[in-house]
Amino acid sequence: MPRVNTGQIISGAAHAAVIGWVMLGGVFRSDPPQVEVVEAVAVSSEEYAAIMARQSAPEAVADVDTPEPPAEGEAAPALSSGADAAPEARPPEARDTPPPDSVPEVPARPAPAPADVADEAPALSVPAEDMAALVPETSLRPQPRPAPRVAPEPVAPSEPDVRVDDVARPEVAPEDGAEVAGEEQEATAPEEAATEIVTEAERPETPAPAASVRPRARPARAAETETAAAPAEPPVPDTDRDAVSDALAAALSDESVPAARRASGPPLSAGEKDALRVAVQQCWNVGSLSSEALATTVVVAVEMAETGRPDTASIRMLRHSGGSAQAARQAFEAARRAIIRCGADGYELPQEKYAQWRDIEMTFNPEKMRIK
Amino acid sequence: MRFFLTLLAACALWAMPATAQQDGGPLRLEITEGVIEPMPFAVPDLVAESAQADDFASRIARVVATDLSGTGLFREIPAQAHIGRITSFDSPVEFADWRAINAQALVTGAVSLDGAGRLVVKFRIHDVFAGQELGRGQQLVGEQDGWRRIAHKVADQVYSRITGEGGYFDSRVVFVSESGPKDRRAKRLAIMDYDGANLRYLTDDSTIVLAPRFSPTGDRVLYTSYETGFPRIYLLDVADVGRRVLPTMDGTMSFAPRFSPDGRTVLYSLTQGGNTDLYTMDIASGRSTRLTSAPSIETAPSYSPDGSRIVFESDRSGSPQLYIMEARGGEARRISFGQGRYGTPVWSPRGDLVAFTKQSKGRFHIGVMRTDGSEERLLTASFLDEGPTWAPNGRVIMFTRETQGERGEARLYTVDITGRNLRQVPTDGGASDPSWGPLQE
Amino acid sequence: MTYLGKTMILLAGLTLAACTNPDRFAGGNGAGAGAGGAGMAGAASDPTSPAYFQQAVGDRVLFAVDQSTLSGEAQATLDGQARWLMENRDFSATIEGHADEQGTREYNLALGARRANAVQEYLVSRGVAGNRLRTVSYGKERPIEICSEESCYAQNRRAVTVLAAGPTS
Repeated sequence: MPRVNTGQIISGAAHAAVIGWVMLGGVFRSDPPQVEVVEAVAVSSEEYAAIMARQSAPEAVADVDTPEPPAEGEAAPALSSGADAAPEARPPEARDTPPPDSVPEVPARPAPAPADVADEAPALSVPAEDMAALVPETSLRPQPRPAPRVAPEPVAPSEPDVRVDDVARPEVAPEDGAEVAGEEQEATAPEEAATEIVTEAERPETPAPAASVRPRARPARAAETETAAAPAEPPVPDTDRDAVSDALAAALSDESVPAARRASGPPLSAGEKDALRVAVQQCWNVGSLSSEALATTVVVAVEMAETGRPDTASIRMLRHSGGSAQAARQAFEAARRAIIRCGADGYELPQEKYAQWRDIEMTFNPEKMRIK
Repeated sequence: MRFFLTLLAACALWAMPATAQQDGGPLRLEITEGVIEPMPFAVPDLVAESAQADDFASRIARVVATDLSGTGLFREIPAQAHIGRITSFDSPVEFADWRAINAQALVTGAVSLDGAGRLVVKFRIHDVFAGQELGRGQQLVGEQDGWRRIAHKVADQVYSRITGEGGYFDSRVVFVSESGPKDRRAKRLAIMDYDGANLRYLTDDSTIVLAPRFSPTGDRVLYTSYETGFPRIYLLDVADVGRRVLPTMDGTMSFAPRFSPDGRTVLYSLTQGGNTDLYTMDIASGRSTRLTSAPSIETAPSYSPDGSRIVFESDRSGSPQLYIMEARGGEARRISFGQGRYGTPVWSPRGDLVAFTKQSKGRFHIGVMRTDGSEERLLTASFLDEGPTWAPNGRVIMFTRETQGERGEARLYTVDITGRNLRQVPTDGGASDPSWGPLQE
Repeated sequence: MTYLGKTMILLAGLTLAACTNPDRFAGGNGAGAGAGGAGMAGAASDPTSPAYFQQAVGDRVLFAVDQSTLSGEAQATLDGQARWLMENRDFSATIEGHADEQGTREYNLALGARRANAVQEYLVSRGVAGNRLRTVSYGKERPIEICSEESCYAQNRRAVTVLAAGPTS
């Protein structure tokens, strides 16, 4: 028709709008994230905590006054007003399923933790994925509080009469825990720690108690339940772990992996290597290193006795990079102290695989620890 | 269910790339996370090896312990917790005793008086867990009334041997001692050990004195005084407290003086006709050279440690910001870009950082940034922090903090460049404008 | 139209109401230890006395934060100062510039100098001989109000003209 009337124009426009919305509106709906079960299971609790810490760390430490005021300014106030639903929802989500609850929030459990992860793998995977998807979007993690000690995982302040030591030891009286070689031990707990250095300039102006109380309660609970249940615990994780490594051994021996390398069975599992790494980490104190030494990576060799104790005389530096020889000496000494101190009672390594871990080379790379 | 879980775990771990055990090699591990905490150490009283040295035996040990703990990098395990005892400087150490109390470093020493009445101090540093000495023992000799300096030198050795940083304990700070109400502040120049001891006044409080600066060798001080009724620059000799005014033109005000790294030139601000620019003056000849000619305020300059460049404060962009230019003048490049006003830049003795005062959103901060302006980090926040000065090792910063209100008072504080260990410097009364001198010979 | 008319009258009334002179006769001399040259007292009723200058003419002008520009009020006061100085040629003056405490020490010294200089140039432009005037800055060293609030800061951001008998030496 030669003349298009107004009604037709309006109708056409409306149709186009509806069609367009149907076609394009889907773009703005968020799809459920893809789930990769294998990778979720393989992340140990320590690594997960490390990932979380790394993602939040730049925001807390980076230039306070770079031209991005909205992101910076909102972080502290939004935390106390609790406006966003997403992070608020996260803790309840985690609490509903007790096993995943324990994974991100248990800093004081070095050896048993990998066993827990492996056991609860499928239950863990779904909430872990949701949490992993949420992390990049939100910056509203509980602000790190200033603490005298900085460690990869935050540690709640221990009870006043508990002596501070690197390794958490339950209080063991002679009559308890028949499994434990009946020596008396004082209850010790790791010193209170935060994940980062919190300078005065970064300390949030508002105390934001509402947001920080909840996460803090859980580590305390975990620590308490840990010290309470500790006498009974040592035997249990061992059997769990052995079950897993047995299954692993069975699975792996099916492959024609050259097990004859070391003439004594399967290599160390990732969980066992991880346990060793975490154990050494806790004693690797870089707090009294110069900034140059903090830029120096050293590779240290050590020979271990069958008891899991390092042979002090065998600790030597193989090579270093990133700093002068003087800085490398400092870095080496800190590494040596770490190996000796946390190995004083012997590292937890499987005796039957001794040949695999008799010679160890550790690379101490402080890159992540610089001006944390 | 359990079978399914273990099978899943087995499959997952098998899928991970084999990292450590390559063919026949040792177990390889990478440690990338550690802890940052003060290192526990012990300094038992020194062994007194001659009569009358008993007093010094414990005093020196206390100063060493206080120096180390004061850095925030070390934590002393007090004497009451010690199990072992050091009774002789040369007998071997029972490391098990010190491991039992978790001391990672042990400092042992001995003190005696020689024939001339001088103090002779020997010391050794031990790595307790490795069971061996760190470095070699040393011996220091000095006058009895310089016992604090000997103790500081011992602490400097321990500190730098363990951390790898240069020491800073055997140093002095020149500052302005303040008293009286805010609208009638009495100010006088003073000098003290970095820890507050051995205070000495260099001027009386009859006129306003401001912002003193130590010479690179610690023998002279430049400062601004209103003695003549106008701000003028004075050069003072620390040993004999003699002073003279630097020649200036009539009708001008000069202030903000700094020494060049070779100690021969003064870099300062001169105000003429309401405009403030940077000038240098040769101390020996009195000849001055103009460095900037801008209608804006140029002040608070600082030389780089090699004397080739200057960082200074200018409001040419509309608000005070930091600029860097060649030491002989010329084009200046802005290095501060955050939100707020920047001032009082001081170049670190290591040459890698610039410390500054920043005002933003009604608060003052002390901060550091790289010399190209990147990696800005704020270390403090309060009502009024200003005027940072660097310790000789470039690791610690001292600054002035003033509290607000009618009874506001200024005090000196130190902070580590990581932002940790903020603590007050013990002074008798108010104090401001510190300038940290060099490590003494 | 009547509506607009009423609004205009109302606005005009409010504007005029704002034109009260802030009390510049706040007691006390301008602070100035060592400013050189003591102003001589003399009855404020004597129009040739420094006391009259201080109290009736007004010896100080105030500035906005970070600014050294002279407001309309400041200029009015300075006009009065210039007239007085032209009529009383026995006096010279030192103009003291000050700043509030919200700034670093040396920058505030320079800012005070800018303010003092702005006053000096204005007085010269109003006919006062340049050789009768000197400037000095006290930065934030001599506040007259010591609370840490804007009400006090505003009083501290000032330039004070302090008289001295005789020509400047």
